[in-house]
Amino acid sequence: MIEIIATAESMNQAEALIDAGADRLYAGGHPFGLRLPRPLGLEEIESIVRLAHSRGKAVTVACNALMHNKQIDQFAAYLTQLAEMKVDALAVGDPGAILMLKEQALPIPYIYDAGTLVTSAEQIAFWIGQGASGAVAARELTLKELIMMQQKLDRPIEVLVYGPTCIHQSGRPLLTNYFHYTSGDRASRLDDQVLFLRDPKNAGSQYPIIEDTDGTHIFSTEDLTLMGQLKIMHENGLDTWKLDGVLLRGDAFVSIVALFDEARRAIEAGAFVPESFINRLKKLQPEHRPLGTGFYMKNPEDVH
Amino acid sequence: MKTMVKKPEVLAPAGNLEKLKMAIRYGADAVYIGGQAFGLRSRAGNFSYEEMAEGVAFAHERSSRVYVAANMVTHEGDGRGADAFFKTLQSIGVDAVIVSDPALIVVCFNAAPGLPVHLSTQASATNYKTLEFWKSIGLERVVLAREVGIEEIRGMRQHTDIEIEAFVHGAMCIAYSGRCTLSNHMVNRDANRGGCAQSCRWKYDLFDLDDGEAHSHVQGGEPFSMSAVDLSMLHHLPDMIEAGVNSLKIEGRMKSIHYVSTVANVYRSAVDAYCRDPEHFVFDPAWDEEIWKVAQRDLSTGFYYGVPNEKEQLFGKPRKIPKYTFAAQVLAYDPVTRRATLEQRNNFGIGEEVEFYGPNFVHFKQTVHDLWNEDGEAIDRAPNPMMTVTMTVDAPVAPYFLMRKK
Repeated sequence: MIEIIATAESMNQAEALIDAGADRLYAGGHPFGLRLPRPLGLEEIESIVRLAHSRGKAVTVACNALMHNKQIDQFAAYLTQLAEMKVDALAVGDPGAILMLKEQALPIPYIYDAGTLVTSAEQIAFWIGQGASGAVAARELTLKELIMMQQKLDRPIEVLVYGPTCIHQSGRPLLTNYFHYTSGDRASRLDDQVLFLRDPKNAGSQYPIIEDTDGTHIFSTEDLTLMGQLKIMHENGLDTWKLDGVLLRGDAFVSIVALFDEARRAIEAGAFVPESFINRLKKLQPEHRPLGTGFYMKNPEDVH
Repeated sequence: MKTMVKKPEVLAPAGNLEKLKMAIRYGADAVYIGGQAFGLRSRAGNFSYEEMAEGVAFAHERSSRVYVAANMVTHEGDGRGADAFFKTLQSIGVDAVIVSDPALIVVCFNAAPGLPVHLSTQASATNYKTLEFWKSIGLERVVLAREVGIEEIRGMRQHTDIEIEAFVHGAMCIAYSGRCTLSNHMVNRDANRGGCAQSCRWKYDLFDLDDGEAHSHVQGGEPFSMSAVDLSMLHHLPDMIEAGVNSLKIEGRMKSIHYVSTVANVYRSAVDAYCRDPEHFVFDPAWDEEIWKVAQRDLSTGFYYGVPNEKEQLFGKPRKIPKYTFAAQVLAYDPVTRRATLEQRNNFGIGEEVEFYGPNFVHFKQTVHDLWNEDGEAIDRAPNPMMTVTMTVDAPVAPYFLMRKK
């Protein structure tokens, strides 16, 4: 059974995403969830959970922050509230948070999500031993490696099939520091304006850079997509597909989720023509965001 | 009333066997090194098993310890041979391994039960519960993320008794270590498998694409960058010690003998001075002077007293730091003639002002008055690398004293 997971930025979008075919919504808020399209408060999360459940869908709450003492102090109460509203799963990457989940013995499963650090089946097996029900794969893995990993495991590996990936997380406010140094007028920059970095040696590069209360996050130049490889993934048991709308809001993201749902149905019906779906994805894709396959189609030996 | 819980260890980097011995001679309680595999410094001179064995024997004779960094984040197949690696390390007598990948931790526990495991800073341990987690798994020590503050360390110490190791000196990642794959995406080199290309220290354009066209946000011709100045907690060692840090870590397995010996010497001296009499501890300005002789960038306190601002990043023209050069190493000293035999490491000659320094924070300046070559002939300069020369010194020296010049 292929599962489509999509980030939800609001109650309205959540509804549209469910209509579009998402099986599971991914949402969360400060200070426990990282890199969300919009951080949500508990009330909003609860409404989304109620909506999802009424439609037979699930909600995973992002608790993937690198937690400091202060967050850990507040985490137990947050967990209790999430348990009361019966969220279906958590995404957790901090071993301290995992220890707390064990201690509190709440009936919420968690998937291990530590970004760049999840790169082998043996690592995931370790976290399964610590209670994880699955794991989010690093985006620096190749499809060959992902297939090898899934073959060794009986729990799902979540793979990003659409969206940007974070390639750098700093605890420092790197944009503020830069503008302070240059005494630039920060007011000229809108609060939700996305800035990009370009490596002058690579004219095609444009890395989105976002600063928030967690620090600074830099994303890949490309929105990764595995649209062309969905059938191979399905044949190899990679059936947990994540679509990340952290940089793509509203209906534009919903349309892409709908396309992946259609692709899923085509695969299940044995009528998937990848070229056609790739072309349709290109039409939906925002003009200034290139699509690419990142590391997925590289040979494992090409990256050292 | 200051109460010192326990004297912390001074932990120095050692890129090769010679540096290991120097670091220990200059006061390191422990050193960390890399093996031929599973580490993150593919370009540092990594140790063969034979060199490791010699290093461990040398360290243990002097009541020092050797830790081996095996902090790679493995992909499928990378863990091959890790069991034999850890077994061999244990049989050599290595005191601990530094690991971040849980897959390698499990291999190590199974292959070398009893070999202590330290969690690498690459795993970004930032809270007391995380420390408790790793203790429950069986780790003996956690190296903290560099994003942790002094106050947070105090909080950790109240909640857990696992050993805490924290960086006090050296270069820093600008990202949470392990959570940066700039190198992977920019140059196909895996930062978490030893390929870090230090892309954070490059210069970048900064722009928006609001109407589809790039509009620059670069100000005053200064490109965007995210290069951190270096860390130094030399002026705040009492805070680190009182917070309950067990091991004070100096960064730099790629650094020179001159660097490692100087930094180890300074931290050894400062930690001893504080722990001898915390009540009456006075900071010795000579420690500061010595540290700046090997500084490569400006120095800062990182996250220990708050989130670093723009002053803790390298913008504009780097501040000029006077450069000192490692000029010679002492091979022998004759107290009767007051002559030292030196092995040359950089060109120097009569009339030049030089500095000698040795373990136990001994150091003095002098002018080179005279110089003889191996055949006893008077010479003006020592121009040849590794040549042996003799000169009169103003104060006693001993083998392994080093000589630097401006």
